[in-house]
Amino acid sequence: MFALVQNGGGVLAQTPNEGTNFLHELLLWLPLPEWIPGWALVLGAVGAGVGILVGLVSFIALWSVWMERKVSGHMQCRNGPMYAGGWHGWAQTIADGIKLFQKEDMIPIGADRVLFVLSPAIVLASIFGALAALPLSYDWYFARMDLGIFTILAIGSTTTIGVIMAGWASNSKWSLYGAMREAAQVVAYEIPLGIALMVPLITLGTFSLLDASALQSGFFGMGWAIFQNPLCLPAFIIFWIAALAETKRAPFDLPEAESELVAGFLTEFSGIRWSFFFMEEYAAMFLMSVVGAVFFFGGFESPATYALRIAGMEGTIVFSLVCFGTLVLKAFTGVFLMMWLRWTLPRVRIDQVMTMGYKYLTPLALICVLGAAIWEAILHIVLN
Amino acid sequence: MVSTKKYIGNVWNALHSTFVGMRITGKYFLQKPITVQYPDQRLPIPDRYRGIHYLEQEKCINCLACARACPIDCIEMDAIRHGKELEWVSFTLDYQKCMFCELCVYPCPKDCIHMGTEFALVTEDRSELKHDLLSFKGMAPDARVRMKEAEVKKAAKAAAKEAAAAQKAQEAGTEEDAAGGASSAEGDAGNGGGEA
Repeated sequence: MFALVQNGGGVLAQTPNEGTNFLHELLLWLPLPEWIPGWALVLGAVGAGVGILVGLVSFIALWSVWMERKVSGHMQCRNGPMYAGGWHGWAQTIADGIKLFQKEDMIPIGADRVLFVLSPAIVLASIFGALAALPLSYDWYFARMDLGIFTILAIGSTTTIGVIMAGWASNSKWSLYGAMREAAQVVAYEIPLGIALMVPLITLGTFSLLDASALQSGFFGMGWAIFQNPLCLPAFIIFWIAALAETKRAPFDLPEAESELVAGFLTEFSGIRWSFFFMEEYAAMFLMSVVGAVFFFGGFESPATYALRIAGMEGTIVFSLVCFGTLVLKAFTGVFLMMWLRWTLPRVRIDQVMTMGYKYLTPLALICVLGAAIWEAILHIVLN
Repeated sequence: MVSTKKYIGNVWNALHSTFVGMRITGKYFLQKPITVQYPDQRLPIPDRYRGIHYLEQEKCINCLACARACPIDCIEMDAIRHGKELEWVSFTLDYQKCMFCELCVYPCPKDCIHMGTEFALVTEDRSELKHDLLSFKGMAPDARVRMKEAEVKKAAKAAAKEAAAAQKAQEAGTEEDAAGGASSAEGDAGNGGGEA
């Protein structure tokens, strides 16, 4: 069985191109003078990496919030923001951000100050950590991780700790209810999320995001996992529902259910701290969409990358850019799907959330894994 | 077996209803928005809409019919009368009180107060809700002209009258001239006496 898992994608397997960290390559490429000490180079590279990540998260948050407002507006036959910045209110989020930065930073008297101050930082740090494991293109990555998906899921779920800290430290019953719901929900949905991801992992036979992407480069870049194994589609649906619950998006936004709990764990936060939580939510949406795109929908592979490969452009900067663009396009399609679901479905009750997680998604995900393994075994026997 | 059927039915229901919902929201997403960008674009307002009043001040004769008709006494007007012409001081309508009942419009003998189509009454202070409906204060330019003309006419008439009177007096004077020589001498004497 394990051998099968390792050899699962053997049909389409090819060796992914070897490479190193692009910051390292950048340092080698730059004409730096000899006298700069090694530690300064390392610090500079780390700084550049952090800068790229911060820029990425800010851009994702700014763009997604604008997109969310436009999408929700059009789904309700409205226009959404139209004035700020001129063209279709593109600068609305920037204006909102400036407003948030100017707001008074309030900490309630009864709050646990240390935890209260620390919780937005932990939430944001964990999402930065998870995004650091994300490859941006075949040769643009911070670290080549063979267990990339493990890293992302493990570090990404530490946001829950930040949320629980925020709820507990606020000294408010609404916040605490929100935090408890978050804890219950995340514990319930981590299981189907991980199990559903096992299906493409079995199909592709790798935990690395780069390798998983390279293994899906079939005809016209359409050798996506979802076409390789029929169980990938139900697994994707389960993964997607669990991802919605993980990122606290409607219909699973119970931790901040505004009609019941004021704003849940966010009740006592204002200004910049609140905006950190908000940034985390949108970055987490992007992250989950990227994971879904990489493991179900081909990652960097698309007809465009296939054509470039035929043209022998592999390894050039154009190829890397096209790979990056493909991934971002797929990720934002996923983000759009999340928004579509949010503005379609009403919020579910907490007991319905629990029922769905434990009684429906978990067993169905297990059935999918079993089915995928059997499918791969049959394929293995038939093809050999 | 029944529970298994129910379980599968629940899964199917959840998926199916989600897809139906997504189809509906997707349809709306692709539609054109039905809202308009309010201050820039406005929906057409019906002809009989009862908005903020407007006054045709030239026609108004300050008869107070509208003010008397107003059930909540929110119309106040003040004008000084110069013969036939009016010198306007104020014509205020307090929109804190006004209920847009249109009762002020009907009794107007000159048909000069109307309900308009403007409805936005946003102000920074309550006192700004007391609108002055006058488009100009004092007298209208043409009223001024009319008044001047009337004055000129009046003056001319008066002058003509005076002239006629003077002429009459003169005619009477010439008749008396022969007999009145003594009286004028008398008068001179009287004057001289006064001086002395």
